[in-house]
Order: sequence, then structure tokens, then C-alpha cells
Amino acid sequence: MTTHHKVRRRSGRQSISMRQAAIIGGVAVLAVAVLIGLNLAQPRPGLDLTGPFPYPTGVTPEGEPYRGSPDAPLQLIEYSDFLCPHCAEMSNALTALAPDYIQTGKLRVIFRNFAFLTPESTAAAEASECALNQGADKFWHYHDLSYARQGDGLSAYTPTQLKAYAAEMGLDTTAFNTCLDSQATLSKVQADVNEGTSQGVKATPTWFLNGQMEEGAMTEAELRTLFDDTLAKTKGS
Amino acid sequence: MSHPWRWWAMCALALAGIGVSGYLSWAYLGNQPIICGQSEGCDQVRNSVYSHVAGIPVAVLGLAAYLCLLGLTVVRRRTPDVLGGYVPLAIFGVALVGVLYSAYLTYLEFYVMLAVCRWCVASAVIMTAIFVLALFDLGAEAT
Repeated sequence: MTTHHKVRRRSGRQSISMRQAAIIGGVAVLAVAVLIGLNLAQPRPGLDLTGPFPYPTGVTPEGEPYRGSPDAPLQLIEYSDFLCPHCAEMSNALTALAPDYIQTGKLRVIFRNFAFLTPESTAAAEASECALNQGADKFWHYHDLSYARQGDGLSAYTPTQLKAYAAEMGLDTTAFNTCLDSQATLSKVQADVNEGTSQGVKATPTWFLNGQMEEGAMTEAELRTLFDDTLAKTKGS
Repeated sequence: MSHPWRWWAMCALALAGIGVSGYLSWAYLGNQPIICGQSEGCDQVRNSVYSHVAGIPVAVLGLAAYLCLLGLTVVRRRTPDVLGGYVPLAIFGVALVGVLYSAYLTYLEFYVMLAVCRWCVASAVIMTAIFVLALFDLGAEAT
């Protein structure tokens, strides 16, 4: 009788524990689902995707997009990959310096694709060239948006996402999607990569300030110093 | 009551987790560069949208989880009957949340961001070990 009683108690305790464990497990899974949902639903940094830039933008005779005055004393040619984190840092630093250097006519930035990291790099570069087909302003907005979405990883540069950015910016999506689907700009992207390789570019970001090659990103402060020093030398010569 | 070695192992793992997540929290909140060996994945992961939830750095959430696990483990040893003996269940629940969210973050690092933060992987391994111990404890309680 006593033994029977113990077995009942023991088996009863076990079934309660298992049920409790299952309930706790369910609550834990639910909690993780909420955490992941909150993580994915976080607001993205706000970007002006349509407004005009407060400085000139255009396309060089070679077909490369630029921002800043063509007559600026500082000419910076940048080779970048949209998936490269340091390229995004460099881009952010240049954007932060735009009011002091680009807007004041001291600096022009010319962008060239050096897509080499992953197949998505090439897709992102092709998409940027498709945006360029609709105007230099469109390219720079697309460029800024592509970098802003870099934190999403590879999923930020799937064809679906690249087309969604075009729609978000109000581009002509029919023309953009046709351009991207037909790989109309692939040869342009490859030509940029080949041009960079011929100039000694091996990694990104690599950039040329008045012909002087630099590798890697610089901070806003470092760039400011470099720009001021180069401007001083330009005036001195 | 868990085996003494499991208790000690649990404490050691929770302390290791506090060390890792504490360091990452300090680096994140103080905007300090993360020591990451030759890889630059740590900063890339930190700068990504996945590094915080509702404005709270994931490292801080991890630190809170490890502190909670350590606290529960100590409470369980000192006062086994506290909370009606439900402490192993609470440890199991916290460890399960930790291990599932760590799995999600590790997946993001390897397959989405293509940037691996070694500290984050270390934390995922620690949390997995804690979860396995918690499972053993729960099994011992249920039989």
C-alpha cells in the first residue's frame, strides 16, 4: 500500500513537472518570437530619398556619377562595394563633410563600383547603375539607401529588395526592373572593376584624392585634416 | 538537488557569460572598439540593426540573462525550497530563451551579415552549455 502510494506520488509529480516544463518551454519560445519580432521591426534611420541635393550632381564624360562641382580643387574618385562596411563608413564620413566641402565647392566625389565581395555586391552595383540611368540625383539617393540598408546583410541586396528600394524612392519601376532583370548595366559594372584593377585597386574602399591613392576608410576628422592639408598645398602651388 | 559538479559548472558558466556580455555591453555603451582578433566582424555586428532590441543592446539583455541565471543558481543552493522548488524550471526557461535567441543571432552572423563576432559565438556556446545543464537538472527533478 505504501509502495503503491509512493509510485502514485512520484508519477504524479513527474507528470506535473513535465507539464510545467512544457508550459515554460512554450512561454520561452513565445518570448523569443517577440524579441525577434521587435528586433526586425526596429525603425530604420530616416533618409531623404527624393529631395534635391544642395550641391551639383552629374555624370562625368566617362559615365561616372559625381557630386560636387567639376571645378572643385579636391577631386576624389572612390572605388566601393555596397556590401563593404568600411565603404559605408567612408560614405557616411563624406556625407557628414558635404556641407563644409562639397556644398562649398571645394570637393567633388566621383563614384565607381568595385563590386568584388559577393554576387550580391554585383547585383547592388548593377542596381545603382540602373538608378543612374534615371539621373545622377537618383543614383546618389539609391547609393545612400543601399548603404543605409547594409546592416540587413545579404538579404538587403536580393533582386526583390533592390527593386523595393527603387519603388521606395519613387523611381520609374518599370524601367528600373527591366534594367535590373536584363542585367543591362552588368558590362558597365565590370568595366568599372576592370578600370579599378588596372589602377591597382585590390580592396575597398580605395580612393584617389587628386590622383593620390589611399586604401581604407578614414574618419570624418581624418578626412577633414587631409582635405585641409591638400587644399593648403593646392593653394600654395 | 543537482549534483554539486553541475552546480559549480553552472556558476562558472554564468560567470563566464557575465564576463563576455559585460565586456560587450561596456564596449557598446561606451562606444569602445571591440577586441576581435584579426576579424573585424565584432564592429560590423555591433553596427548592424540586429545588435539591439527596442533600443536595448542585445549584449545588455545577455548580461541580464546571465545575472539572472547566476542569481537563481545561488538561490537554489542556499534555499532549495524557495519558490516551491520551481527554481530549476525558471533556470530552464531563462536558458531556453537565451539559447534560442543566441541561435537566431548566430544564424544572422553566419548567413545574413557574413560577419562573425567571436565574443557573440562564445556567449552562444556558454548559453548552450547552461541550457544542457538546466535540462539535466530538470530531468533529475522530474524522476
